Amino acid sequence: MMTLWWAQIVAVIRLEMKKTFFAKRGLWVYLLAAAPVLIWAGHSINMMMIRDHQRDVATEHPLATETLESIQHGMSRADVEEKLGPPYSRRMVRTRRQDRAWLNYTDGESNYTFMFEDGELRGISKRQIYKCSIPQDSLIFATVFQFFYLRLAIFFGCVGVFMNLFRGELIDKSLHYYLLAPMRREVLLVGKYLAGLITTVVIFTTSTALQLWTMWLHFDRAAIDEFLRGPGWHQVAAYLGVTALACLGYGSVFLAAGLLFRNPIIPAATVLLWESANLFLPAALKKISVIFYLQSLCPVVAPPDKEMAAPLLLLVSSAEPTPPFLAITGLVVLTIAVLIAASFRARKLEINYGTE
Amino acid sequence: MAVYKRTYKGYSGPLTPTWSRFLILPRYSYSRLFQSKFLILFQVACMIFPIGCAGFIYLSHNLSFLKSFNVQAGNFLDVNGNFFLYFCNFQAAMAYLMTAFVGPSLVSPDLVNNALPLYFCRPFSRTEYVAGKMSVLMFLLSMITWVPGLILFAIQSSLAGWEWTMANLWIAEAILLAMLVWCTILSLIAMAISAWVRWKVAAGALILGVFFAGAGFGAAINAVMRTKYGTLIDLAQVNFIVWSPLFHHDAASGVALSDAWMALAGACAICLWLLSKKVRAFEVIR
Amino acid sequence: MSLPPPIEESLIVFENVSRFYGEVLGVNRVTLSIPPGITSLVGPNGSGKTTLMNLMTGLVRPTRGAIKILGIPPDDPERLFRLLGYSTQFDSFPKGLTGFQFVYSFLRLFGTTHSECEALAWKSIERVNLVEAANRKVAGYSKGMRQRIKLAQSIAHDPRVLVLDEPLNGLDPLVRAETISLFRELAAEGRHVIVSSHILHEVDMISDQVILLSNGYVVAEGKIQGVRSEISDHPMQVLIRCNRPGALASKVFEQDSVVEARIHADGGGLLVKTRDPDRFYRLLNHIAMNGIEIESVAPADDNVNSVYEYLIGAEESTK
Repeated sequence: MMTLWWAQIVAVIRLEMKKTFFAKRGLWVYLLAAAPVLIWAGHSINMMMIRDHQRDVATEHPLATETLESIQHGMSRADVEEKLGPPYSRRMVRTRRQDRAWLNYTDGESNYTFMFEDGELRGISKRQIYKCSIPQDSLIFATVFQFFYLRLAIFFGCVGVFMNLFRGELIDKSLHYYLLAPMRREVLLVGKYLAGLITTVVIFTTSTALQLWTMWLHFDRAAIDEFLRGPGWHQVAAYLGVTALACLGYGSVFLAAGLLFRNPIIPAATVLLWESANLFLPAALKKISVIFYLQSLCPVVAPPDKEMAAPLLLLVSSAEPTPPFLAITGLVVLTIAVLIAASFRARKLEINYGTE
Repeated sequence: MAVYKRTYKGYSGPLTPTWSRFLILPRYSYSRLFQSKFLILFQVACMIFPIGCAGFIYLSHNLSFLKSFNVQAGNFLDVNGNFFLYFCNFQAAMAYLMTAFVGPSLVSPDLVNNALPLYFCRPFSRTEYVAGKMSVLMFLLSMITWVPGLILFAIQSSLAGWEWTMANLWIAEAILLAMLVWCTILSLIAMAISAWVRWKVAAGALILGVFFAGAGFGAAINAVMRTKYGTLIDLAQVNFIVWSPLFHHDAASGVALSDAWMALAGACAICLWLLSKKVRAFEVIR
Repeated sequence: MSLPPPIEESLIVFENVSRFYGEVLGVNRVTLSIPPGITSLVGPNGSGKTTLMNLMTGLVRPTRGAIKILGIPPDDPERLFRLLGYSTQFDSFPKGLTGFQFVYSFLRLFGTTHSECEALAWKSIERVNLVEAANRKVAGYSKGMRQRIKLAQSIAHDPRVLVLDEPLNGLDPLVRAETISLFRELAAEGRHVIVSSHILHEVDMISDQVILLSNGYVVAEGKIQGVRSEISDHPMQVLIRCNRPGALASKVFEQDSVVEARIHADGGGLLVKTRDPDRFYRLLNHIAMNGIEIESVAPADDNVNSVYEYLIGAEESTK
């Protein structure tokens, strides 16, 4: 019996793969997963270009930091150029009332911009060019991962994939082919769930791995090796695990929503609002959400948004993170419970396309 | 057998003007839409805030009423550009929700039920079809955005006097332009999504998702790239950047106004391109 | 020698089955026993034919009553659908599949191996003459091709019971004839073939028994001749071909049971309506021995069309 069920589950997965994984209608899920990879790749390429440009400039116009630091307000432009040599770039604005000039120098680490009014130094601006470090980028990655990737990309990806499994088939009027096969409805449910899970886990964990890889692309080999020897591999494993668990948890919820509700977008919107408001909920209510356990499992705590309005910042509450073992067990138990509830509904499912 | 008698004759009476034929689409769309009690209730709910604002305007001109309650008014009751900006923000959010509800039923049903060939096998162009469908949403959104906005302006003008009106006529222009821009972008996005997503429920979710996802990924780009230009894919924020100078307000976004206008124009162009790909009389299946 | 299976395992049985969609009646108090052979479900739109088929196959559940298909209830899909194939009326297919993939993929749900599924899929596709188009997407098929691939999918696993909802819809005359001969072939092997159709002359041609439905009720069931003989409201019509129809007419009117005699338009026959066909046939024997040359005697309304008209047509016309 188990052999037969397993063969049937594999057959359902194979069918779903053709329709979901390899179909044009699934393209938007790939785009959702690819978007953060492109952002990190763009950042890395940008950083590499800036770093290389600054190094080239520093090679062509070598200057020591002490020399640049020795320039004082009030010095004339001629004195500055004599001391530092020609700048690597300049900008001049001439009006009837005054002449303004900006001269840019670099020591390879920072950009110095000297602003002259009528030939006299009035302003000095120093900007560190390459202010990335792996710990800093890891903090930004944690914020992007927890507030955008989990809550938007994986969330909407799972909505699209899992809700389509039953509700989409009902809309397409093709569910009856499955119900006319010599297969228990519970087996069909498991097969469809696993198909959705494989699709989302493969797509989103690949995206997570690529995000991490592209994030580190512009760092030196030595810095990366040192990071990996430290917390690096643990963070990689944690993020991949959280991604997979997110697909597991959200997948079961949206599969059940697709079975239980004629308009499954309403429960999806409710879950979205609830998860979005998780930051502001009291500790007891925070625990009634998938995102709370997922965030507990993330290796780096994401800081709150600095640009959040002050009144909203006051409402942010924190709760004790759940231990990893409990978080994982809780999510798995939730998934199984939701699937069992969904299977009761699947057993009673009737085909009445006219009302869909 | 030969046919000797032809009794059929084509219609030879007067024809309706060609320019007005696109209005056939809204006529039938409204009759269907207004069967929904939810839509009617929602439209009524959208009027609650404007009515509240009208009350606020009245109070601001009747300080003696407040003084009887010992209320210190000060600048709190100033009806100025900021007041109308906040009004427009709120009504824009309601317009967004209405679009998510009404938008999916514009083009999706015609695609799913193969009605497009029926439209285009008649002297009815794709432009007229898009204009007709878009006018449905534009009208509904206008009723809850710039129309109540201009009414509030008129109320304020009647209470504040001619001098105030002449000095602040720019507010009326700002309300009209800002809300028309918002209604246009919402309508185009709704129609493009409705043309590409056959399932109405999914189209509604996508309309909501476009703005959420845009905001989210825009913020992600800003965080990762250490820039402000990720904001350009957050259409709600872009719209706010475009509105702020109209209302003499400083958006403080770090994004240039010209870039924001380009982003809106780009979004409209993409929507029109998507519509041109899908709104056709035939579909090729390979 | 093995015992034959119990009688209920060779029948499709409905016991007092009702199905309501809210307040709308689907079928009401249906009690049927359908033997092997070709059984046609006949009735106007909304009479409950598809509901009956959906009940039989478990796609909807009865509000009341019980159903057994060869002794198996519809809520046991693991056993039932190994024996039953259903070609529904829905003209929709899973997206992105070719004809072959459609048949093959759903065969794999039976748990069979790849090679066996492949062989069965090609066999059923050959049976419906769709081999050349099998590797094209179903979405690109014509209506008739879609109908045939649905049929192929429903017969691929060689079921004992075949339920077909308007299977001849959209087929050209040649393909219709081929499909009808396929049904006959299947029925001759002892299978149950349940067909719903509006094409009454085809139902007449192919069916062993009919079930007439109207407004969710079973109006009549059984072999068509048996059903006809039980309709006493409408006298039997008999067409007699002879050389002297006028003389014959004067003779037949001697019998009380004859209510009408009309000379056929071509002048070579007499159409008689009689309430007592057996007595009438005995009279004809007597007349034939007395000088009138009778070429042929045949019932004129012993077909589905007439039965439909008598039982259902009158109801429809009073609405």
